[in-house]
Amino acid sequence: MSAVRRVAFVSPRFAQGSAIGGAETLLRALALRAQSAGREVVFLTTCATDHVSWRNAVPEGRRTIDGLAVHFFPVNADRDASRFLRLQQRIGRGQRLSETQEADWLRHNVNSDALAAWLSANAANLDRVVAGPYLFGVVHQAAGALPDRTLLLPCLHDEPFAYLRATRDLFGRVRGFVFNSEPERDLARRLFGLAPDDGRVVGIGLEPRPPADRTAFPSKRGLQAPYLMYAGRREPLKGTPLLVDYFGAFRKRTGRDLRLVLAGSGAVDVPRELKPHVLDVGFLTEEEKNEAMAGALAFCHPSVNESLSIVLLEAWLNETPALVHAGSEVMRHLCRRANGGLWFGSYPEFEESLIVMLDRPETRRDMGRRGRSYVLQEYNWPTVEAHLLAALDA
Amino acid sequence: MQEAAFTVNAPGVDVDRLTKEIRETVARKKAAGAYQEPEAVRAERWNLDALRDDDEFIEAYLDSLRDAAVVDINDFEIVERRAAFAPLLRALKRTLWKLLKFYTYRLWSQQNTINGLFLAALENRERRQRRRLAALEARITALEGRRGTPECPPCDA
Repeated sequence: MSAVRRVAFVSPRFAQGSAIGGAETLLRALALRAQSAGREVVFLTTCATDHVSWRNAVPEGRRTIDGLAVHFFPVNADRDASRFLRLQQRIGRGQRLSETQEADWLRHNVNSDALAAWLSANAANLDRVVAGPYLFGVVHQAAGALPDRTLLLPCLHDEPFAYLRATRDLFGRVRGFVFNSEPERDLARRLFGLAPDDGRVVGIGLEPRPPADRTAFPSKRGLQAPYLMYAGRREPLKGTPLLVDYFGAFRKRTGRDLRLVLAGSGAVDVPRELKPHVLDVGFLTEEEKNEAMAGALAFCHPSVNESLSIVLLEAWLNETPALVHAGSEVMRHLCRRANGGLWFGSYPEFEESLIVMLDRPETRRDMGRRGRSYVLQEYNWPTVEAHLLAALDA
Repeated sequence: MQEAAFTVNAPGVDVDRLTKEIRETVARKKAAGAYQEPEAVRAERWNLDALRDDDEFIEAYLDSLRDAAVVDINDFEIVERRAAFAPLLRALKRTLWKLLKFYTYRLWSQQNTINGLFLAALENRERRQRRRLAALEARITALEGRRGTPECPPCDA
């Protein structure tokens, strides 16, 4: 098939600044890449910036951001946010919804009729639509408007939302898929019976650069002891309360002087007795984030809900090994493929893994170096771009 | 970028082997009675969701439940961090605590009874299920041995 020319990317928010999630960052990066490869790209998103209220916060209209044409559309004003949240919480708890309730959840989801109308009106000028993640109303709307041209970038993981009828319908309706990792693709095949050639693993590219100075962050922050680092949203879904509890138990049980550095957004509840040993740095600049990663004993990602972790790849790029939750098939897969980190399924495994990191520095450094090599080989832009273009043209 | 890189999965550290070693160490230490401290048990409360499909779930769940079942209604040290009026504030807090304790003691006692009964029922059920399953597996093995049929892989239940 000849190369497709005109591509629309659809995401519920547009990644500007560091406060936006990984999926939005990924879609923006892929859109920019497709554009630099000579495709005509337009980015469609909503005026919302807050992922809880989804209130329209930025003006509607078309703006050029970093050379990319971005159209901002309002989230539907008639959505009942509290009703949506109630249903969303029920689904999250694994409770089964009736067909009507599920339709209600979708109806009050993050929808934008204006965005859907734009897609329908411009159908003749579009060859492909890349939309994600799968949980959002605008993505369902995009797939509804141009199903035969939509590539779903689902960011799927094994969670109650994946088992909804609406999700099954969405996966059954679109033209193809852009996956972040092999385990994500395998999960989609298992849940929705996809054919082996339905979709490609694309991922994200990272700009190659040398590891940051590993002494810079500890000396700037006065950190004398080794530290474990986490960066990202701090919330139960991401496993941060688990990390804080495990860290506290590790210090108490082993008596070792280890510190925890938490970067990113969201509240984190640290018990009073642990506070002197936890450094909550909030948002860091890119440079500081890399320095913090480079200086860490290990980068810990305790979330089981991931389809790819950009921060994990960034930590590897800084030659820092990973310590991830075994419950995340994707993270485990990445650590195995890279030989760049260990995984724990319970507190005792967490403790023993950290002891390995602390007591076997050569092994730890080796894992870090292998992580970096893996990222340079697999997550470089030329490779990722080739996969993306192949997915678009398929 | 040109860099003397490893080939992915080149010889050297093997994280699969390392994880296996770690698991063996954990199993050995567990058998010797390690990780029974309250902080290690309590730390697992956020992990129950992730263990849901694991064989270890019920064990971790019961450990967490044992740790949390009894509401602590004993007196505790009442402190005041603000320097100004510290003795006065401490005295006020102590009085409040005594009043609250007096009015809610009955409630706590009932809650403790319910929690204890619930835990006992679950433990009993778990023990009985394990015994029943072991007996059934032994019976199947014996039956298969008698009939000369090939042994099936162990059940996951």
